[in-house]
Amino acid sequence: MVFRLVGVLLCAAPLILHPTAGLAATKDDELAAMKSELAATKHELAATRDALTNVERRLDELESSAAVPAQAQSGPRIPPVNIDNPAVSFVVSTLGKTDSGGGSGWDFALQSGELFISAPIDPFLRGYASIAGSTEEGFGIEEAALITTALPWNLTAKGGRFFADVGRLPHWHDEQLPFVYRPPSIDRFFGGESGAEGAEVAWLAPTEQFIRVTAGLYNAVGNERSEELREDGFDGYRSPDELTWLVHPSTYFDLTDALNLELGGTYLTVPQHSTRNLYGFDATLRHQPGTSSFYLGFVLGSEWYWNDEEFQDVEIGVDPVTGDALLGNERFRRNGGYAYLETFFGRRYSFGVEGDYAEDPSSAANRQRTHSAFASWFPSEFQRLRFQVDQIDPSGADDDQRFTVQWTAFLGSHAHGFATR
Amino acid sequence: MASRPVEIASAALCAYFLAFSASSAGAALRVVATFPDVADMTRQIGGDRVEVVPIAEGSRDPHKVPVKPSFVTKLNRADALVVNGLGLEHTFLPPLLEVASNPKILPTGAAYIDASLYVQVLEVPTSQNRSQGELHPLGNPHISLDPVRGKLMAKAIADGLARVDPAGASAYQSGLARFTALLDQKIAEWERLAAPLRGVKAVSYHQDLTYLAERYGLDMVGTIETKPGVPATPGHLEELVDTMKREQVKLVIREVAYEMPLAQTVAERTGAQVATISTLAGGLPGTETYVDSIEANLKALLGAVQASSG
Repeated sequence: MVFRLVGVLLCAAPLILHPTAGLAATKDDELAAMKSELAATKHELAATRDALTNVERRLDELESSAAVPAQAQSGPRIPPVNIDNPAVSFVVSTLGKTDSGGGSGWDFALQSGELFISAPIDPFLRGYASIAGSTEEGFGIEEAALITTALPWNLTAKGGRFFADVGRLPHWHDEQLPFVYRPPSIDRFFGGESGAEGAEVAWLAPTEQFIRVTAGLYNAVGNERSEELREDGFDGYRSPDELTWLVHPSTYFDLTDALNLELGGTYLTVPQHSTRNLYGFDATLRHQPGTSSFYLGFVLGSEWYWNDEEFQDVEIGVDPVTGDALLGNERFRRNGGYAYLETFFGRRYSFGVEGDYAEDPSSAANRQRTHSAFASWFPSEFQRLRFQVDQIDPSGADDDQRFTVQWTAFLGSHAHGFATR
Repeated sequence: MASRPVEIASAALCAYFLAFSASSAGAALRVVATFPDVADMTRQIGGDRVEVVPIAEGSRDPHKVPVKPSFVTKLNRADALVVNGLGLEHTFLPPLLEVASNPKILPTGAAYIDASLYVQVLEVPTSQNRSQGELHPLGNPHISLDPVRGKLMAKAIADGLARVDPAGASAYQSGLARFTALLDQKIAEWERLAAPLRGVKAVSYHQDLTYLAERYGLDMVGTIETKPGVPATPGHLEELVDTMKREQVKLVIREVAYEMPLAQTVAERTGAQVATISTLAGGLPGTETYVDSIEANLKALLGAVQASSG
């Protein structure tokens, strides 16, 4: 207000101080002088307005700074939760299914109820555990592992019980899969997830190109095999060539801003007498355009495994006299894999198809082809409803058609790790 | 004695890593910035002393940045990491840092620079309950949309760079002074331009315009999303349209990362105009710098308000 008054006074001053100016000058001169004075006054008013704005803004800033807690001034802001507590989440995945081979009714089941806990332990280590249960498999510690965070030379070590870094989907939890059921090929070669007890070291190449190599040593790889080992009274001591060794290199290419390709290879072996050699290849092509459009991209993923393994006490034929099964050692070379395409529409919907070919690693026959279509609806980021239709064609048995509804929800802290991106 | 193939393989590996590994000796401080806004601020402040590598593109929804392995190698080789902070990076940064093997840029590390450090935060939730949507536990993180808070972000970045590179402290302070002077000049101009926005009622797609609305005096009446991070339901949209008609809301602000058709439908049903803005620099054409981005947003809002009153 004071500045405005000064401005007006400045504007009026020439008229007050020189009331007779108009008499001495021509009318044009007078007009020009007034215009010039008006312009000068306008300029002064604008400057005053800027000064006022600056004062207001400075006040805003001082108020903002003053309101910041002292702690925030000195270091990273601490979340308003008890930071000593680990991040805790619980995932519920429940399903209802009906199939042509199982009668005309429905079967409801808890596919997975999983408590996940993770936290840094000290500046050098973090730990996590996954305690899971389901209608089919009961309840138990699925994973409990420690991971280093500060090793030199881009190394990360991991130890405990965890899902070995095999391929892509074998180390994903059920609820993280893009479809309802784990691909039968993966299920047959690993018996569920790639659960293992052992140690892994991962190395990230110090290059612009993403190259990561994991090497691991385990009692066994695969939930089923690990479980069998424990049930057989495994005493904890085995020679190195009886253990399972793994190497898994992976790399990644940005083909365009929105299109990228990820490639990986898996070699898993039990060296003693070449008991088992498994070779795998995985490829994932993703289209991830900006998120403003209705179409939000796709994921095209595939894995293929070749398993060369010697089995003991398996049926190798039939006694021609007694008709009983003959048991013996037999080596089988089996392969299998899957491919799927999932496309995303809007922020809430996705649709996909999957094809799978699975051979039984421990049998001469028993091949299965499965074709599936699935659609997912995400009411929010923390809830998902999925519908899946499967056409299952096993060799030597009738076809089966299965329809499943899966309902999954995430309670508490929920974050995707790098491996399940 | 190593065999010939082994020697050749070793030589090839050495050549490969020499060709592709760590930045050249004596090079600038390699700073990875999560979003284009903080990347531009870092560039303006650090000048030749820094080489800034951004992660997310401006057109992305900051809550849905893909976790690309190519970001891992950038983070692995970073001397410092600049983040917006307040949890805006929560969907992509933790998994990337998990495998980046670079302890100094972890949130507890000295080279982790949080640009939100000095900013007064709004909408800090009093309870963390997901029935209220996907709330950011530390408060609304979209602070860069307010250029006055942008100055405080720049100060936090300058202080962080000085901490990582003490030899360049005076250079960073000079850079900060230059950037702040530029912002001061522009802020005065923007506040004059923004006069027609004062008191204008508006809805946005996501609840991310709190700071922008406070700066320019917009009155935010609702969001197209049902709750933060929860997509619109038909029932919510009906309620929103009713509210907009009742309150005579004539401005729908659509952030460029979100879909246009829904914003357009709401606008058509209420006779409002749609203004497309970006919450990040680079989200709209010709807005690669922070200043250009703020200016483009303001012009888009003014254009829509002018159209709705004309």
